[in-house]
Amino acid sequence: MKLTKESTQGIAYNGKTIKELLEERDKRTAKSGYYYGLKELELYKGDPMKLELFFSRLLAATIAGRETTRMISGSPQIREVAELATGLYTAEGDCVLQSTGIIIHIPLMGEVIKWMINQDYEHEEGIHDGDIITSNDNVIAGMHPPDVYDIIPIFYHEKLVGWAATVIMEAELGAVAPGAMSSAASERFLDGIRFSAEKTGENDVHYKSFERRVRSGVRLPDLFLLDRKGALAANIKVREDIRRIIEEFGLDYFIEAQRELIEIERRAQLERVKRRTVPGKFHVPVTFENYMTKTFVPPHHAIDQIRLVPMDFIIQPDGKYFLDLDGAGPWGWHPSNTTPSSMRGAMCLLLSQTIAYTGAANEGTMMCVDMNLPYDSYVNPSSKNIATGNLFSFPINGGGAWLRLQSMAFFSRGFVEECIAGSPTSATFGMSGKDHYGNDFGFLMTDIAGTCGSGAFAIRDGLTGHAPWQPVSDMGNVEVWELFLPLSWTGRGLLPNSCGWGKYRGGFSIMATWMVYKSQLLGLDITPVVLLDKIYPNSGMFGGYTGTGPFYKMVEGANTETLLQEKLPLLHHYGHPLNPDMEKNIQGRHLLETSRGVSIPGVFRHGDWLQVHYGQQAGGFGDPIKRDTGLIKKDLDSGLITLEISGKIFGMAASYDEHREEWIIDQDKTIKLREEKKKERLRKGIPVKEWWKKRRKDLLQGKMPELMKDMYNCSLDKGEHWSRNFKSFWMLRDDFTF
Amino acid sequence: MSKITYNKEIIGDLMDGKLDWHRTKAIISGHKDEDRFEKHLEALSERTPWKEKILLPLTDELFIVAKGTERIIKCRCGYEYGDYRENWKLSALIHVRETEEEINELYPYPSKPDPQYCEIREFYCPGCGTQLEVETVPFGYPLVFDFLPDLDTFYREWLKKPLDNEKEFKDLTYDVIKCWAKEG
Repeated sequence: MKLTKESTQGIAYNGKTIKELLEERDKRTAKSGYYYGLKELELYKGDPMKLELFFSRLLAATIAGRETTRMISGSPQIREVAELATGLYTAEGDCVLQSTGIIIHIPLMGEVIKWMINQDYEHEEGIHDGDIITSNDNVIAGMHPPDVYDIIPIFYHEKLVGWAATVIMEAELGAVAPGAMSSAASERFLDGIRFSAEKTGENDVHYKSFERRVRSGVRLPDLFLLDRKGALAANIKVREDIRRIIEEFGLDYFIEAQRELIEIERRAQLERVKRRTVPGKFHVPVTFENYMTKTFVPPHHAIDQIRLVPMDFIIQPDGKYFLDLDGAGPWGWHPSNTTPSSMRGAMCLLLSQTIAYTGAANEGTMMCVDMNLPYDSYVNPSSKNIATGNLFSFPINGGGAWLRLQSMAFFSRGFVEECIAGSPTSATFGMSGKDHYGNDFGFLMTDIAGTCGSGAFAIRDGLTGHAPWQPVSDMGNVEVWELFLPLSWTGRGLLPNSCGWGKYRGGFSIMATWMVYKSQLLGLDITPVVLLDKIYPNSGMFGGYTGTGPFYKMVEGANTETLLQEKLPLLHHYGHPLNPDMEKNIQGRHLLETSRGVSIPGVFRHGDWLQVHYGQQAGGFGDPIKRDTGLIKKDLDSGLITLEISGKIFGMAASYDEHREEWIIDQDKTIKLREEKKKERLRKGIPVKEWWKKRRKDLLQGKMPELMKDMYNCSLDKGEHWSRNFKSFWMLRDDFTF
Repeated sequence: MSKITYNKEIIGDLMDGKLDWHRTKAIISGHKDEDRFEKHLEALSERTPWKEKILLPLTDELFIVAKGTERIIKCRCGYEYGDYRENWKLSALIHVRETEEEINELYPYPSKPDPQYCEIREFYCPGCGTQLEVETVPFGYPLVFDFLPDLDTFYREWLKKPLDNEKEFKDLTYDVIKCWAKEG
């Protein structure tokens, strides 16, 4: 049904246009404070079990849709790591519920639908049963371009009653650098293939022109197209289930019940906050390092910058959350700015895993979060031409820091089991060149989802295989990855001595070791997921430390053939920190990279080596010298820590019993060691007032690197209350700059 | 459905990390107990060697307690910090890890913070030498006031048990700093 602007008959179920519907929703919600003006929940009051049954039917439809996709997709990213989710939206574009999966996208796919409504697609493009819409334009909405949204309208008896949407993360987008999150994309024109809420098919079939465009636009078109077909299958499955559900419950019930589910969730979220947290104000600084001189960008974008985003998190008396990012530094020509849309995605992801985890998170959850995202800043750029390859950087970095803040509220309320230290980092890399079949290829490595160590909990150690941004953490099977990539896995293991120390330690992250396999040309791009290199994040809690970050080690021109012929040791893991196996066993040009967002100046071939530590810089919890000696012994026996760490960090004395093949704790010596540690602290610790005077002098004399001065000056210039507080703390003049 | 509740022994074991995983998992996965805060305070009061009433646990070692008409922060060891609206770190001891040796002790691998850009600030209790917090922040960043609770709103509006001697919800840290500046 294509309408002219003069049409009075809209496509929505009640004869209105969907724009009218959206306006009505906004008006009724704003006027009453309740979603759609629903002060009374008539359906819930009348028959709560019927509403529960209805909810279960909808949820089952989205989960079935998601699982259908996994059976169709060819990408290991989907089949193994499960980087996808399927959601159901009202005709106005509000999320009613979503399947399991990458739940960060709950509000964002709805934003794309609302964008289409506001752009008047109903009249301009026409919206028909069977249409397929594809979008990965993050200026409209989204977390980063590889998260491709496929959306279809749901018609019932020729009237629009809702939308089904599926998000799938792609491994390749044809960007300026390989993979899907290019370090070298400094403006959106370099992000790779883009669909701006475009109609890519009709009558449930993709256009041939769309397929041709994909084939010429990305490095792995088959996977991209299979994913689109998988997403379409998921959406059709949801659509057909929804039609059956409407037949069973009736259209009026379907419409009204969805609204009640959103309003119920809004009220539930406020109630959860009031029952599990403590109101007040929390603070943490978040920084971003963008070294654009280390990657391939136009000369006028080749600028190194560090940017500060101070974060105030306020739990308000009414139970709403308020995120105030006053003082956020300016945006820049790099891939790691963020947008209000990706900020909403971040909050959705975090809330739905930490407090709104009932499986019912939806638009109502998000109505309980307000934000101050200063315009023309790092978190709300004024340009629509920004690169969006890594909008994820703030959600991961700032989100990981925010986890720790909310945890303090849980802790104070007594819900210690929900308290977890921060885990703000992630690491991955893109690659391109020739694969092991001799074909051109490109790929974003995403086994990280299951390889990061979490922050410590308040009552137990952190987890291995935890990524806040991917709730269904899974690193995938090596054998499947090896089918797709010219890499041979020679090792996967935890890196000893690398977690966040504390009374409870953070989880260990995995180090992967690969030999380049049958590729004659492999280029690497260290994807700038999070940019915490020189300045580590503040992720430890209550005396725990921040854990070790990611790093990448490589050997170009390796002597692997000789090693194989002479049957000498190859490379399987890191080895001893002071005498690593890579340096010990492999000859060639050794490369090391720690900072994120660089194109590696090397060309790798069959027999070369690559090692990546997926350190998440997750925090420990509590004073390390209060750690239970039994837990330390367990880590010693498992080879996760060394005796040196046991003594220096935990103050525990132990010796190895060769006969029993285990570590024996010396309890008396440990008590003495710990007492000595405390005395040492009292000796070396100085009153904060003395430190303040010294540091103030340093600041007044400008004793800091130029990048840091620039970082502070930019935030002092942009911030209001943050700037005042900074100057008040250091007793600086109102016009102070570095 | 009857309301979920746990006795204070279970809550105590949970906070001490001594509850077996089977029970802990059930608490994590189950409906939350509505009287947790009260039980938690009861269990805490048995674990602190002083008499003041705990109003709010701030960390695993620091507590906001009622002392006369004031509300102060107190360490488990008994050491008393100032008004809860001042950042307690102002009254702590501090040590900044600045040398390569000190950084390498925590971070033996190639990825590690650069002390020119990043401060690792350790805060110790002057009373017992416990490491109360570690700040890993940009060099020169003000001390982080991690959490200023809105204590009266919490007790009055959320718990429906208003506290005596209501205090303004206000950060008093800068008043202390002003005094330091005056001292020269």
